[in-house]
Amino acid sequence: MKIRFVINGKQVDIESAADRRAVDVFREDLGLTGTKESCGAGDCGACTVLVNGETKLSCLMLAAQLEGTEVITIEGLSADEALHPVQEAFIEHGAVQCGFCTPGMALAAADLLARDSNPTRSRIREALSGNLCRCTGYQKIVDAVEAASQRMREEQS
Amino acid sequence: MKDAKSSLFPGMTYTFGSTPGAALNIGSPVPRADALDKVTGREKFAADYYSDDMIWAGVKRAGVPHARLKGIDTAAAVNLPGVVDVLTSRDVKGTNRQGVVRRDQPVLVNDRVRHCGDGVALVLAENREALSRALDLIRLDLEPLPGVHDMEEALAEGAPKVHDDNPEGNVLLRIELNTGSGTAAEQECHALVEACFETPWQEHAYLETEAGWARQEPDGRIVMVCSTQTPFRDRMEVAEALGIPPQNVRIIVPYPGGAFGGKDGISVQSLLALAALHSRGRAVKMWWSREESFVASCKRHPAKMYYRLGAQKDGSLHYLDARMCFDTGPYDHLGGVVLTLAFEHAGGPYRIPNVHIKGSAVYTNNPVGGAFRGFGVPQATSAIERTMDMLAEKLGMDPLELRLKNALRTGDKTCVGKTVVSSTGVVECLEKIRGHNLWKEREAWKSDAGAFRRRGVGLAALVQACGYGPVVPDYANAKIELTDEGKIRVYCGVVDMGQGTAATSVQIAGSILGQRADGMELVLPDTDRTLPCGSASASRCTYTFGNALITASEMLRDRILERAADVLMAPNKEQLALVPGKVRCLRTGKEFGLAMLAAMMDEAQRTVVHRFRAPVAPEVIVPDEYVRLHGLPHAVFSYGAHLACVEVDEVTGAVEVKQYLSVTDCGRVINPQLYEQQIQGAVAQGLGYALCEKLEVSEGRIVSKDFTTYVIPSAADTPDVESLAVEIHEPTGPFGLKGVGEVATNGPLPAVANAVADACGVRMFHSPMTAEAVLKALREREGQG
Amino acid sequence: MRKVFLPTSVSEVRDILDGEPNAAFYAGGTDFLVQLRAGKTDPSCLVCLERVAGLRGIKDTGDAVRIGAGTTHVTLLNDPVIREHFPILVKAVSVLGSPPIRNMGTIGGNIVTASPAGDTLPALHVLDAEVEILSQQGARRARVSDVILGPGVVALEKTELVASIWIKKSPSWGIHHYEKVGRRKAMACAVASMAALVDVTAGGVIERARLAWGSVGPTVMTSPEVEAALVGKRLERGDLAQVAGLVERSVDPIGDVRATAEYRRIVAGALVQRLSEYA
Repeated sequence: MKIRFVINGKQVDIESAADRRAVDVFREDLGLTGTKESCGAGDCGACTVLVNGETKLSCLMLAAQLEGTEVITIEGLSADEALHPVQEAFIEHGAVQCGFCTPGMALAAADLLARDSNPTRSRIREALSGNLCRCTGYQKIVDAVEAASQRMREEQS
Repeated sequence: MKDAKSSLFPGMTYTFGSTPGAALNIGSPVPRADALDKVTGREKFAADYYSDDMIWAGVKRAGVPHARLKGIDTAAAVNLPGVVDVLTSRDVKGTNRQGVVRRDQPVLVNDRVRHCGDGVALVLAENREALSRALDLIRLDLEPLPGVHDMEEALAEGAPKVHDDNPEGNVLLRIELNTGSGTAAEQECHALVEACFETPWQEHAYLETEAGWARQEPDGRIVMVCSTQTPFRDRMEVAEALGIPPQNVRIIVPYPGGAFGGKDGISVQSLLALAALHSRGRAVKMWWSREESFVASCKRHPAKMYYRLGAQKDGSLHYLDARMCFDTGPYDHLGGVVLTLAFEHAGGPYRIPNVHIKGSAVYTNNPVGGAFRGFGVPQATSAIERTMDMLAEKLGMDPLELRLKNALRTGDKTCVGKTVVSSTGVVECLEKIRGHNLWKEREAWKSDAGAFRRRGVGLAALVQACGYGPVVPDYANAKIELTDEGKIRVYCGVVDMGQGTAATSVQIAGSILGQRADGMELVLPDTDRTLPCGSASASRCTYTFGNALITASEMLRDRILERAADVLMAPNKEQLALVPGKVRCLRTGKEFGLAMLAAMMDEAQRTVVHRFRAPVAPEVIVPDEYVRLHGLPHAVFSYGAHLACVEVDEVTGAVEVKQYLSVTDCGRVINPQLYEQQIQGAVAQGLGYALCEKLEVSEGRIVSKDFTTYVIPSAADTPDVESLAVEIHEPTGPFGLKGVGEVATNGPLPAVANAVADACGVRMFHSPMTAEAVLKALREREGQG
Repeated sequence: MRKVFLPTSVSEVRDILDGEPNAAFYAGGTDFLVQLRAGKTDPSCLVCLERVAGLRGIKDTGDAVRIGAGTTHVTLLNDPVIREHFPILVKAVSVLGSPPIRNMGTIGGNIVTASPAGDTLPALHVLDAEVEILSQQGARRARVSDVILGPGVVALEKTELVASIWIKKSPSWGIHHYEKVGRRKAMACAVASMAALVDVTAGGVIERARLAWGSVGPTVMTSPEVEAALVGKRLERGDLAQVAGLVERSVDPIGDVRATAEYRRIVAGALVQRLSEYA
């Protein structure tokens, strides 16, 4: 079936089996391998993308559901060449080790900060509780989100 | 940014955008050079490799734990539209055997299935749907054999043998040692405690499952991209198993998405190469599903340990009788090496003059036991550290004071009789805890528990050997080059699976050569371009590669300065200095760009290769050379001490870690941020091992084979870890450093168990300490049965 | 290759069903697509309900609240009407899955999946929630607890659609309590859970209570005896512990890979003590 949607600010028209998984559409059909797969069953968050401004698990979405949506994958998180504050903070605060959970984690964090401009550490952990990480123990990820949140508040004022 | 981002092979050269102007000082928390591409999704992992006209390969696995393979019916699968080929052991032209120490694991089973995950057939298909259907259509004719799923059963007289040709029945390796007066010392003890401990399997659960991509080039060579810790060793194993020359296999390793020992050895490599040999030049991709990863990959060995520990009246440890059995599954797969390391660590970081230690690695038809961060030491540490607390209670001594009294100092002998000559900071680690508020104010903290909660604190003192032991060479070949563009290019053959070896290499070379991050380039492991550097394991990556790189960098620095001295007509190189992008004559102020200088140097002049081999311990602990080969004893040790502060919920039994303090002696810290990353990550894995990770195995079948039934800690479950470093300089280490990758994994299980005992008087001897297990122990204690 | 329909109205759903009577419905897909991947179901065609306008929306009708079956959990969490009148439902949903799962999963899906561990179900039970079911014959209402028959089994015809959930505002309760016991704090399948609505006198004595437990039976478990026994007890550990044995006898758990039956039974009884925290 023909599917039209906007991804990372660009409109695309694709031809796909209706029941093809969204994660496969992104990774294989569109070459956007930033979105990862780690469990295929909604239990790890590695496949997290933003759909119409909400985090969703692309391994549990079918291609047909993409019609008319606006999707942001990790490749679209930075505007032009400027990194999102979450991405800059991840780099600065050591929130990245092997990096496989990072795309999903960064999108979940960016989504949190779009809704809550001053989250506590506990709230940050809750917001990231759907994204598993096996390398970091989460601490520096929380540090980074806290720092990004502070920076974003400073830039607003 | 990467060169040629659209190009297929990553063994290419990286330049660093993360923080281009960063000064690369030793001791500075320089942000990791690889973070930028990872945080933007640009970094390609092995699982991210696709190409046009690509074939998918997948494995039909036995699904039964022990059987004779009588036949394979592939007809229906072969004839399915979309199937390219179905291969079996008949298509494997070499030895069809893999393994690091003993080559006993088949690429594809030819005669006998020894665990459920054994691969029996390999399907090549045009797409994943056809692959999946074809796998379902393959019929295996298996004659089930009686299996052994329990170590006592495996060791019993007349037990079915997992390997008929093994002269020791179902024993892979057995070690025994007496020191001092051995068991006779027991009578001399004033206080004696004993206990039996059982530790479970643990799944690595790296986020990137096993994956790879391969293609046979027109000249017959196989090029492979895969997620592995050991590209050079893999190449040899693939070559031998498939009967092809090793130089015909090129293995390229992008950053693996986690490994922790689970990719220390063959996973997809031989299968991918076999598929590539049969796909007429088309690229092949293999990517294990999460469920397949659970079933087929190796695990942390479960262990049963019996400990008897005795002390004199003043608390001096006098006697240890430690007997340990490790369930190694059906194949060697480093099982003997794991046992040997556990054996060496049986007595923890203490002086114990009289020991009797006995260890066996036992074959079963359970999942394969293999390398996992800590490598036998978490099991042994959990035993000695829980026993120490029991002894402290019996002696009426403070558990911290008991540990301090017996802690190793340089010049002492370890429990196996090895003299400690390298840096030894365990006393300093314990003293740091003693002076910390969390320890000093523990009674006040405990008494402040809320409704339904009981609080407790628990300690663990840690030691972890670095390196491979006295026989297997622990070496690395560093190669470094001044490129014709005037950049410093480091060829780093050690895989960076998240531990930060790539970033550390850049920091080391950059600091010696006076360059900032944007003046550096890195080549990731590629058997065609980087040199053999050993495995990414054993807490030896930065130690061994770092040492090689320091010398290579110094040599390159000298060469550059000598050439510049000639060009600038300076009397000697001491008048010159390397600054970012240039050489500067300090006396005259004249400068010369590095690119220009490179143009005036022969390629051989501006390329340096240096090999470093780690020092080894000369002591012979046991006469058996075969045991010595497995790594006994080691020469350099890292140390630590942990304090866990927990709350036990009396209603549900749930244990929550409220605060956690880790103090580590890993020598000099080159990058505090990378150091903390390692500690925090290791503690998180250790907490999962202690509290919630339970691999359910029934008669050799893994029942919990997904992330909903095997739970690892989420962000909501992991506390902040306060991480302190005690920087005792290690003279043999690069800038005084020792390995840090593993030591902290050992702390959480015993520290939390000791804290639970402190909180509510129940000692936990089994793990994970799930809410159910703790509630049961609590109720038994209260006599409710 | 399966057909996937994305209808935007209930009548469109009906038209699809006319042509494909064996179509399988899903909304968020967080349970259904996992089942599909595991090969536990193999329908020839799928109908995704996430865009059906008539299945969305939360409406305060005066004496009740109507919740569209396609309402996502995150919408429930943030809705002022739900937060004001049914805090117990907010508490249940806040521990369901994980943030993206809550963005995708729906209350209708949680009901129709009918897992013994469904997080909204104990709360819906004590709230006496009803579902409105649409079919060719029209609309009918039924109690949620009557629609769920067993693990994965619902009293619905293949062509019936759960359109909305109705919860009466009255009676209102002073205490809304929900606790989930899982093997970790997020993304956990409940091992035992308890929903409780309690009213106490000014002196802290229980006047009435409604309790329901999850994951300790094939469906939500309840016990009029326990509820009766609680009347007159104080919100205090000792008093509340007295009903533990009664609770243990009222539940019917199984053992599985996550927990033994015995643990589930004991915890179900012990969870009642947690009500003392409201004193």
